[in-house]
Amino acid sequence: MKPEDQRLTREQVGSIVKMLSLTTDREFNCAECLQHVSEFAERQLAHQPVSKVIASVEQHLALCPECREEYEALMKILKAGQ
Amino acid sequence: MTGSEIDWPVALRATDSGEQAAAVSALREVLHHGLRIALNGRSDVSAAHLEDFAQESLLRVLDRLDQFQGRSQFTTWAQAIALNVAFTELRRKRWRDVSLDALLADGERFAEPAMIADDALGADEDRTRFVAVLRSAIENDLTPKQRAVMLGELRDLPFDQIVELLGTSRSAAYKMLHDARRALKQRLHEAGITGADIQNAFSL
Repeated sequence: MKPEDQRLTREQVGSIVKMLSLTTDREFNCAECLQHVSEFAERQLAHQPVSKVIASVEQHLALCPECREEYEALMKILKAGQ
Repeated sequence: MTGSEIDWPVALRATDSGEQAAAVSALREVLHHGLRIALNGRSDVSAAHLEDFAQESLLRVLDRLDQFQGRSQFTTWAQAIALNVAFTELRRKRWRDVSLDALLADGERFAEPAMIADDALGADEDRTRFVAVLRSAIENDLTPKQRAVMLGELRDLPFDQIVELLGTSRSAAYKMLHDARRALKQRLHEAGITGADIQNAFSL
């Protein structure tokens, strides 16, 4: 491994800080997020408050780029249907 | 009857085969329409892909019908599943298109242990301490797979590629990453380092 590969960049430190600050003991995994993301999306669109359970979706989306990509696509569909 | 007027779970389970077939056909159209909106403008998605995704999604939704709990519109729930089907396949295809050599090279780097240079982030005392604690935690507190998934994340590898390189499921890989994050957080906590300390040290 080259020395430059061994270094943490400023961006990576930022990523670690973000990841750790969002880490909780109990988190949704991707499958649980998928099960609840439709309710979360509809509530976001209607500016309605979310329950503690549904708030776990938001936390997962902040940590998982793949689920976030799918959520954003879902919001695109919902907005097109408004 | 419009999509919003259909009682989808009832119609999709209808004993009248004509009614059920009509509901299945209507749902397929809803999914196809949504996918077309969501994937519009992507150069890697053709009309044939949309057809395939709609069909695959339809089967997945029908298979999971019992999991619908009525906490959202049925079509929103079904669209979420359709998007998961489509994006998972698109990511898989993207990694299939990467040459095997490139993937293997990635895999070799991926498997290497974490080595973080002490001076990588400057001579500031707080930064040096943070890096030392973090390096120790990554090298000593994580399992090899936890370390691999964490480094994959830091190197911005798509999560599905990490899953493929580890030869595991997405849920299992996510649990490894979650456990790794918790272990690092615990170690930093034990060392008396808070998120605010780090943010101040790095002006984040």
